[in-house]
This record gives sequence, structure tokens and C-alpha cells, in this order.
Amino acid sequence: MNEEFFQALTEVFGRWDVWLIVIASAVYGIFVGAIPGLTATMAVALFVPIAYWMDPVAALAAIVTMVACAIFSGDLPTVLLRIPGTPASAAYADDAYAFSKRGESERVLGLALLCSAFGGIVGAVVMMLVGQQLARVASWFSVTEYFWLYLIGLTCAILVAHGPKSKALLSLLLGLFLSTIGLSAAHMEPRFTFGIPSLYQGISFIPAMIGLFGLSEVLLILSQGDARSLSSSDQSLPPQRRWAATIASAFHEFGDRFRHHKAGTARSSFLGILVGMLPGAGADIASWVSFAASRRAASSEDSMETETLHSIGDATTANNAALAGSWIPALVFGIPGDSITAIVIGVLMMKNVTPGPQIFNEQSSLVFSIYLIFLMANLVLIPVGFLAIRLSGKILSIPKAILFPLIIVFCITGSFALNGSSFDVITMLVMGLIGLLLTRRGFPLGPVVLGIILGGPLEERFVQSLTASEGSPMGLVSRPLSIALALVLVGLVVAIWQSSQRERQRNSEAGRPSAR
Amino acid sequence: MTTSAGFDRCLIASGFRVFWIATLVCWVTGCNTGSQFPARPVTLICPWSAGGGTDRLARQVAVLLEAELGVPVNVVNATGGGGVTGHTRGALARPDGYTLTIGTVELNMLHHRGLSAVGPTDFEPLGLLNQDSAAIFVRSDSTWTSPADLEQSIAATQRPLKASGTAAGGIWHVAMIGWLARQELPTDKVTWISINGAAPSLQELMAGGIDLVSCSVPEAKALLEAGEIRCLGVMSPQRLPASPEILTFAEQGIDWSLGSWRGLLYPHGVPPDRLKTMQAAVRTVSRSDEFARFMQQSGFHMSLAEPHAFTAFLDTTDRRFGKTLSTPVFAEAGKAVVGAWFFPSLLGGLALLVITLGFQSLGEADSGGTVRNGPIIGVVAGVLAFVGLSPVVGYVIATGMLLGGLMLAFQASWRTAAVVTLAAPLLLFQIFSRFLGVPLPWGWLGW
Repeated sequence: MNEEFFQALTEVFGRWDVWLIVIASAVYGIFVGAIPGLTATMAVALFVPIAYWMDPVAALAAIVTMVACAIFSGDLPTVLLRIPGTPASAAYADDAYAFSKRGESERVLGLALLCSAFGGIVGAVVMMLVGQQLARVASWFSVTEYFWLYLIGLTCAILVAHGPKSKALLSLLLGLFLSTIGLSAAHMEPRFTFGIPSLYQGISFIPAMIGLFGLSEVLLILSQGDARSLSSSDQSLPPQRRWAATIASAFHEFGDRFRHHKAGTARSSFLGILVGMLPGAGADIASWVSFAASRRAASSEDSMETETLHSIGDATTANNAALAGSWIPALVFGIPGDSITAIVIGVLMMKNVTPGPQIFNEQSSLVFSIYLIFLMANLVLIPVGFLAIRLSGKILSIPKAILFPLIIVFCITGSFALNGSSFDVITMLVMGLIGLLLTRRGFPLGPVVLGIILGGPLEERFVQSLTASEGSPMGLVSRPLSIALALVLVGLVVAIWQSSQRERQRNSEAGRPSAR
Repeated sequence: MTTSAGFDRCLIASGFRVFWIATLVCWVTGCNTGSQFPARPVTLICPWSAGGGTDRLARQVAVLLEAELGVPVNVVNATGGGGVTGHTRGALARPDGYTLTIGTVELNMLHHRGLSAVGPTDFEPLGLLNQDSAAIFVRSDSTWTSPADLEQSIAATQRPLKASGTAAGGIWHVAMIGWLARQELPTDKVTWISINGAAPSLQELMAGGIDLVSCSVPEAKALLEAGEIRCLGVMSPQRLPASPEILTFAEQGIDWSLGSWRGLLYPHGVPPDRLKTMQAAVRTVSRSDEFARFMQQSGFHMSLAEPHAFTAFLDTTDRRFGKTLSTPVFAEAGKAVVGAWFFPSLLGGLALLVITLGFQSLGEADSGGTVRNGPIIGVVAGVLAFVGLSPVVGYVIATGMLLGGLMLAFQASWRTAAVVTLAAPLLLFQIFSRFLGVPLPWGWLGW
């Protein structure tokens, strides 16, 4: 075993071409992830034909690095412009953007970067130590358990939303409703399509997300400000700092968080790995669930600001830890945890490596290499990420009269690029208007996005569970694991009910209407 | 304000340099509208999502075609509706030879079920690439070791067995129903759970939610080699070269075979000379050593056919599916327990409930101050104009018009606006179309 480990060590760290490939893929991943509309999955899919000409270690190193970097860099447009670069960032879009408005974008991004790298490293170490045992847990989950898991994810979206819970619930219902548009996967029957062929494919959530968060924010500012304010740049420009200061303050922030927020850090890494490991759950849900868990557990002695910062840190830790988690079932059973690992399995098979328990015995040096690649990718992420933070900060110095048209063009191009369809651009536009309306009325946008993402799978799992139990609703709680998950859900709902009652009471005591 | 002025100056100083570089880059790589074919990027439509088997095959073919044709070949995932979206878009694409589709077996099935208006006759076949046969899998701790064991259980059982492998009505579902019907077994003794895809179905099999899975052997290879599941037989006439140890159904006395296929298609009406060029390119690519190696290493069963033979193959397959899918057995098997409108009505009911209960807190609008609708209408009109114009005038011109128009409307200084309008669209086009290989609308100038 030691021999193979050292062989892997030299294969990964001792080869200059691997280093070059890793750095190039880090830059590429950061770039693709930062453009709203281009996802981590797309980055990998575009890379596949090139992977064909590489050896397994180099190809895997490239994939792992670009994904880790893309998931982090999804935070860049989220924080700076409130446009989630990847769905995993949508959970904390509003909270992170609030920091940016106060001129503290570098603070959030620095923390997000280090938390991402940390989550990725913890994920890799856990995968290394207990990956094979954890894979067993993943194989217990049947469609019924996924049904409950998705419901828990949706409930978390309500939990983290600001403002009255009834508004968050309505936002969520709107998102779920939007997800039913199109050809229903469970019934193969068109719903709400009005005979328009383009509507058959339904509302793609990426253009919807770009519209809801990105375009709606631009429209909101345009409709409120007067024309003159557009010719200047943002007043809340982050102070010009030196490189060393940016890096030092990020590490200081992270160190602080690490000392005072141990439980949260551990919880979010653990949640990230666990949720990421379940096929069909992935980094998006991991980020939402851990953000909600962090909100619930927030101690009262912290200020509101520190609390939010902790929660964002937790969510970014979780979504990068989830990446490592998703490799567990892929390596052990050949069952992909998400669309990225589906591509990875393809690449492995292309290299004559069939994932499964036997690769741990027959090709253990390759398995060790994968673990080491995860460590390497997350270490490379730190310098490349700082570079990206510094460069992207320049965006805020562009006057709005120029920045806004550019953002609009980016929203259009990103939406079009996903499927090459003009219909997606229209979707983005309509969602932008809906987002504007909702924001003006004080409805949160996060639950809408999660509703669109999870609505389809939720309905599918529901129908599948009922088909399996021949229509009896008791089938939803017939297995011990599903009962446990259902109880977690009940606990969450009770918690939401209590907190909303308390809020109402506080507001009536204060003698003012319950605004935001 | 000071930053703004500084930015202006800096932009104009560097702006002209950017403009010249961009023009140069564009001149070198874009806008060659010569008369030879192909002169600009080709789009390959994949009806399935990124990461799946069809997508992987499409991307590999794209790379090889790119080398053969000398222009970029971009894969576009037009997913949704169980293949309806992609196939429909491929059939209705402009027949100028620049749009290919990687067709799959669903093309033979969807129109028989009334889900799609598009069938094999709406395409001009270019070449068949692959065929994978269906196979039946069970958990290795089960007592079934052959299809005959399973048939016995199905005939004897009171509670129906549960099976999956794809969505209801998908290819692997048809394969299983066809087998049961051929053996004259009651098809209502197996409940098909509609799970989208072989991988989640196999996960469900492992979790104990279902009893058997019907899918292709490459899809189940990892679990098979791990000893977690057992293959009872493959529905092909001969044993698979990649997994020769698996017995065929024919060898076990069951006269039934069915599988999926993947092939390249053109829409009808492509000019003959372009058709000939593409057919030759597909032929060269599919017979290359690289392609053979890729197919073998990915576990796909290679099965090639020239346009003529492919057309005949599509015709026979289509008639066969027409027969299987029209049997009453099959119409019965696809019914779901809860109707399609159950979920939307549930949502509507919940929404009504929340509105009635939480009426007080919902009523408050929060945005004070004056609200100007002018800019919103302007942006909406701009985006709509872009959608309408971009297929005609191309991405670069449409983007330039939108950018310039908006910047002037927002009262940016006209010099800055001019520089950004000239440089940004070209730069964006280069990044998306050349570097990332994402297709953008093209028009008069080829970009």
C-alpha cells in the first residue's frame, strides 16, 4: 500500500506537465464559473474531447481542478453583481450582495475562497479515509428517501429567507409551479404549454436564475435611480488595498472563524460530503441545507453581520465538500453523484478504468492519485482565486451607464449559450420582470430558484414512490430511513412555524407592521 | 465621479488598441464567407443532457469531424421531453448543411406514442454509429439466475414485481414488455416505476426499491464487475464482444431481441453537394481507428451503416416499434397512479391557503419613492429586438446595436460608448464562439 501511495505521490506532484495542466484548468474553471450561464458541468463537458489525448492522472487532475475552481468562482458574480454564477451560489446571493453594497466585497470573497478550499480539502480527506464505508450509506437511499430529502431542501429555502415566512412559501410555490411547465417527466403529458413547442422543454433554471437575480437587479436600480447617478460608478467602492492586505485580511477572517466557529465548520463539511454523496442531490442542495443549518444554530452573542458571514462561509465550505462527496458513489459503484461525475465515469471508461470496488485493489495507485489531486486542486485554488478576486473587483469601478448594458449583454449571451436557443433568452427576460415585481413586493427570490430546480425531481420521486406502493400514501413512510427523514422534515416545519409566530409577536409588540 | 473620468480616459487610451487587436483577431478567424462548404462552424444537436452516453459520443464525433471538415463542430444539448425537443429542433433546422443531429432510438418511438410530430422520415440519414442491446439485471443476493426463473416468479406472484431502467415508455421499458408479451406472460404482474435513466434505476435496485432493471450492459458495467448485480441475459442475436460471458436470450430459448441505436442525421432538403461532403466525412470518421478505439474503450457496441443501409434499418425498426407500441398491453402499462394535474392542483390549493391565512403580512408593498418605468420598457424592447434581429444580422451586430443603444440611453459619454460598442461584441464573440466553442447566432457576415 505504501509503495502505491508513493507512486501516486510522484505521479501527481512530481510531474511538471500535471502542474501545468492543473494551473491552466484552474484559470479555465475560474473563467467559466464566473460567467453566469456557463456551469461547472459545461466546463467539464467542453473538456472531454481533450481528455481523450491525456493519461488518466492528467485528465482527472484537470477535471477536479476546473470543477473546484468553477464552483468557487460562481461566487464572484454572486457577490459583485448578485448574479449567481452557478446554482450552488444562489442560496446566499442576497446576503453576500449586501456586503458588496457596503463596499466589503473583498471580505466576503476572501472568506468564501478560503472556506471553499478548506471544504474541498476536508472532503478529500474524508473520501480518503472512509469513502468506501460511506458509499454503503448512499446505496440505502431509494426514491422515497429522495422525496423526503428534496422536501427538506425546499423547507430550508424557506428557513433562510428574510421576511415573513408566508411570502417565502408563496415564492417557493411559484417556483414549483414554474417547474411543472412543459412535458411532465412522470406522465409524458404536456402541461401549461399552450401548444408552443419551445415550452415543451420547460423553464430551464439557469436562464431563469440569471433573469431572477441578475436582470431584475439591473431593472430595479434603473427604475429607482435618476439618470444622472448612472454616469458615476458605485459610491461604495472597496478601498484600494495592497495585495498583501487582501490576502492577510482573508486569512485573518478565516482564522477567526476557524477558532470561534468550530462546530459550524465541522457541521458544514460533514453536511456537504453527505448530501453531495447522494446521487441526484449534489452541491446545490448541500449549499442550501448547510446555510439553513447555520442560520438555525447561530448564537445570539454574535452580531448580525458576523452571523451572516459565518453562514456564507458554511455554505461555501459545504458546496466544495460536496464535490468530493459526489465522487464517492461514482468511484465505488460507478453510480454518478451528479452530472459532472457522470462525465468522469465516461472519461475513466475511456481510459480503460471501470469504476467499482475492484479499482481500490487493482488500481489503488490511481485511487490515491485522485485523493492527492483533490488536495492539489484546492491548494492551487487559493492563489488563482485571489488573483480572480483582485481582477474582478475592478468591475465595480466601471460607471453604471457602461456596466449595466454590459451586464444585460452578458445575461443574454449566457442564457443563449446554455442550449443555443433564443427561447431561453425570452425566459431570462420574463423571469427578470417577475423578479423585479417580487422584489418590489418584498418576496424573496431564492425559494423561486430552488423550486424550479427541485420541482421536477420532487414530483417524479413522489409519483415513483406511489407507483411502487400501488397508490398507497403509506408507502412514503414504510422504510425506517424514510421515517427518520420525514421526522427531520416535521422538526423543520415546526421550527419555521415557531419562529414566524415569534416574529409576529415581536412586531406587534413593537407596534409596527411586520415589514422586512 | 473622479473614478468615472479616470476610467473614461483610460478606456479611450486602451480602447483603440483593443479595437485594432479585436479587428485583427476577427479577420484572421471569422467572416470567411467563401463558396466552399463548410465555411463556418457546424452545430451538432444532442437531444440528451451533458454527461450521458449520447452526449459523450456526440462530443467525440464532433472532435473527429472537426479535424475532417476543418471547421469547429459545436455540440448543443437540446434536452427535454424525453428526446422530443432535440429531435424536433434537428428536423426543423435550416437545411443549409450546418446543423447535424445525433439521433437516438426514441426517434422511432415518440411519434408512435403521439408525443412528437417528428419521425425518421423527417430526416436524411448520414450514418449509423452504435447499437446497444437491452439486458435484464437483478441484485446478486436474489434467487433468480436466469430469465426462466424470473418468468416463473412473474407467473406465480400475487404482488406485482417492480422494475425500471428508464422513464415509462422508454426503450428499456419496451424491451421488457416485449419480452413478457413474447413469452405470453401477464404484463400487469410487473409494475414499471418511471425513473429517468439507467444509473438512478440501478441505484434504486441496490437500495431495494425495485426487483429488476432493464438497461444496456455498458450502463451497468461497474456494478456488474463489482459483483453487486447479476445479468440474467442480453436481448441480442449474438453475444456481446465486450462481455462474452453473458448469455443471450436466444441461447436461453427466448426468441426476442431489442436494443437502442445512435446515428447522425441531416434535416431534409440539404443541397446534394453538401450532403455528399458530409456523408463522406461521416464515413471517414466512423471508420477511423480513433473512433473504433473510443467506442471500444467507452464500452459502446460499434455498429456502422452507410446512408442507404441506415435508411432501411430505420424503416424496419420503425415498423417493429409501431407494432409493439400499438399493443393494448403497452397502452395500459404506461399509466401513472396520480394524474398529471395532481401536483399543479396541489400547489394551487396550497397557495390559496397561504394567501388566505397570511393575508395581513402579504399586503404590504415595501418600495417607496418614485418608480420610473421608462428604462424598464427600454431594456425589454432592447432584449426583444436582440432576439428578433440576431438570427438575421448575426451576434456581433445585434450585440453592438443593443450595447450602443443602451449606453446612449443611459447617457454614457459617446466616445466611451463608441469604443465599448466596437470592441466588446467582437471580444465576447471570440471568447464564447472560438475559445469556449459555444454556438452563437450567426447572420450576414458569418458571425
